[in-house]
Amino acid sequence: MSFSIAVQTELIKAKRSSAFWLCLIGSGFIPGIHFLMYSLKPKDFVTRLKMHPWETHFMHCWQAFSAFLLPMFVIIVCSMITQIEFKNNTWKQVFASPQSLADIFLSKLTTILFMILFLFVMFTVFIIAGGLLVNLINKDYTFLHNSPDWMLMLKMNLKSLVALLGIISIQYWLSLRIKNFIVPIAIGLALLITTLIILSWEHIYKVPFAYPLLTFNSLSGGVQKGSFFQNHELNSIGYFIFFSTLAFLDMKYRKERG
Amino acid sequence: MIVLENLQSNLIIMTLTPLIKTENLSFSFSKGIKTLDNVSLNVPQGSIYGFLGPNGAGKTTTLRLLLGLLRNQHGGIEIFQQSFSSHRIEILKRLGSLIEQPSLYGHLTAKENLEIYRRIYHSTKQRVEEVLKLVSLENTGKKKAKQFSLGMKQRLSIAVAVLHQPELLILDEPTNGLDPNGIIEVRELLMKLNKEHNTTVLVSSHILNEVERMASHVGIIHKGKMLFQGTLPELQQMKTKQAALEIETNDNSRAVQLLQQEFSAEHRENKILIPYKDKEQAAMVNRMLVQNGLDVFALHPQQSDLEQLFIDITSNN
Repeated sequence: MSFSIAVQTELIKAKRSSAFWLCLIGSGFIPGIHFLMYSLKPKDFVTRLKMHPWETHFMHCWQAFSAFLLPMFVIIVCSMITQIEFKNNTWKQVFASPQSLADIFLSKLTTILFMILFLFVMFTVFIIAGGLLVNLINKDYTFLHNSPDWMLMLKMNLKSLVALLGIISIQYWLSLRIKNFIVPIAIGLALLITTLIILSWEHIYKVPFAYPLLTFNSLSGGVQKGSFFQNHELNSIGYFIFFSTLAFLDMKYRKERG
Repeated sequence: MIVLENLQSNLIIMTLTPLIKTENLSFSFSKGIKTLDNVSLNVPQGSIYGFLGPNGAGKTTTLRLLLGLLRNQHGGIEIFQQSFSSHRIEILKRLGSLIEQPSLYGHLTAKENLEIYRRIYHSTKQRVEEVLKLVSLENTGKKKAKQFSLGMKQRLSIAVAVLHQPELLILDEPTNGLDPNGIIEVRELLMKLNKEHNTTVLVSSHILNEVERMASHVGIIHKGKMLFQGTLPELQQMKTKQAALEIETNDNSRAVQLLQQEFSAEHRENKILIPYKDKEQAAMVNRMLVQNGLDVFALHPQQSDLEQLFIDITSNN
């Protein structure tokens, strides 16, 4: 009960916050660019999208999204959610309210997960809207004659969310720890860029910032082999448990709160 | 008669069990430098306890410790006769607080800010309207808190603190940044809550005058140590003992010679100080000086500010 109230209050705080606007506008960015490309250069895309329009369009969008933009959004959203308290000088009021530390910690983490989920839902909505809209403008496209592969969409969303858990926990911890908004973002971006440089390393499945791309790669080649969750996704869950526990203990035993 | 009534009410308050009790509270932000040194606070139920001290004296540190915003290093904290460390949530449910600057979500309206705490404290929606009215913010509509003036923000923070009708209010310099009208409003509000709802108020300030106007009890902290703790009449009694009459004439040296016949007058810079008793003494001094052909430029009891009070208390100790 107290946890559900804590989440409700966090959602009120997230309403109209910069994190909310970032997720809403950010989710429309890549589908928007693809919509413009399809509309302005139909010659290049009508043939390419003829056979499997939704699947190809979906993969185009996700490819650009999962490598860099998605982890970057997560890095920024984690900072923005904790910044609501830092910026408004409200941590002290939160800690002086009758809520357990676990409720405070978990409700913020849940809000971050809700925000990422909101980003995913809106991203999918914009992908579909882009396909439909471009077909209404240009009748040569075949989006209206085919139905989207809902299963693939669901799978990509779910597995990408799991792949992001590691990054979320690391960034959440950094954002709780460091008051300055820029520092956790800078650390996150440095880690992400380093990951992209060492992408061909044989142990890349141990690096959490590479997981969204690894998940995309595993689904882009057609039928996925083996178990539903792959090794890197299970690693992501492991990182999530480890860093979330670390972040909670850090909050609990800190000398000064708020 | 009035003195007797005062004494009685003080006795009643003193015999009540303390609502806040700290024992030898000590705290250091960095090794070797004590920000608080054995602070034993005793806030009686039903009192308005003025916690006085200059900036950096340790007021905020003490209040933050009371609210669990700092991890207790040494000493015990009891609120509502319960140990804070083992009953944190139960205690926080029964108190309201405001620490330093206003803590508000700038992107939300006054109502939305209160809605957050309404859910946490399980207050009614009607109560939100009541407190908005109480702090005169009922007509702010869709205006966001970041667009409020500092006074409005401070009032909204007070509304948050009193939303759940707490038995105890812990307020750290609640009149900071307010204009004279705002200061009076906050003072009257606190006195009203104390009188009508028997809310115990622990309020910190660095302005002696402000505390004297509303407090029933006073605690004075300086450099992390409690210098004085007691009722307001006790403080005033001590101040009177230390009070002096300040005199300035056209010939201070002659005036000192004259006054020394009756009082222990002291010549300090361009003024003369004599121990102050009452108004009649002031009239007598004036008469004496004028009758001896001296022009009296100024004659008044010395203003007792916080700085002077510290000097007095320290010299007393």
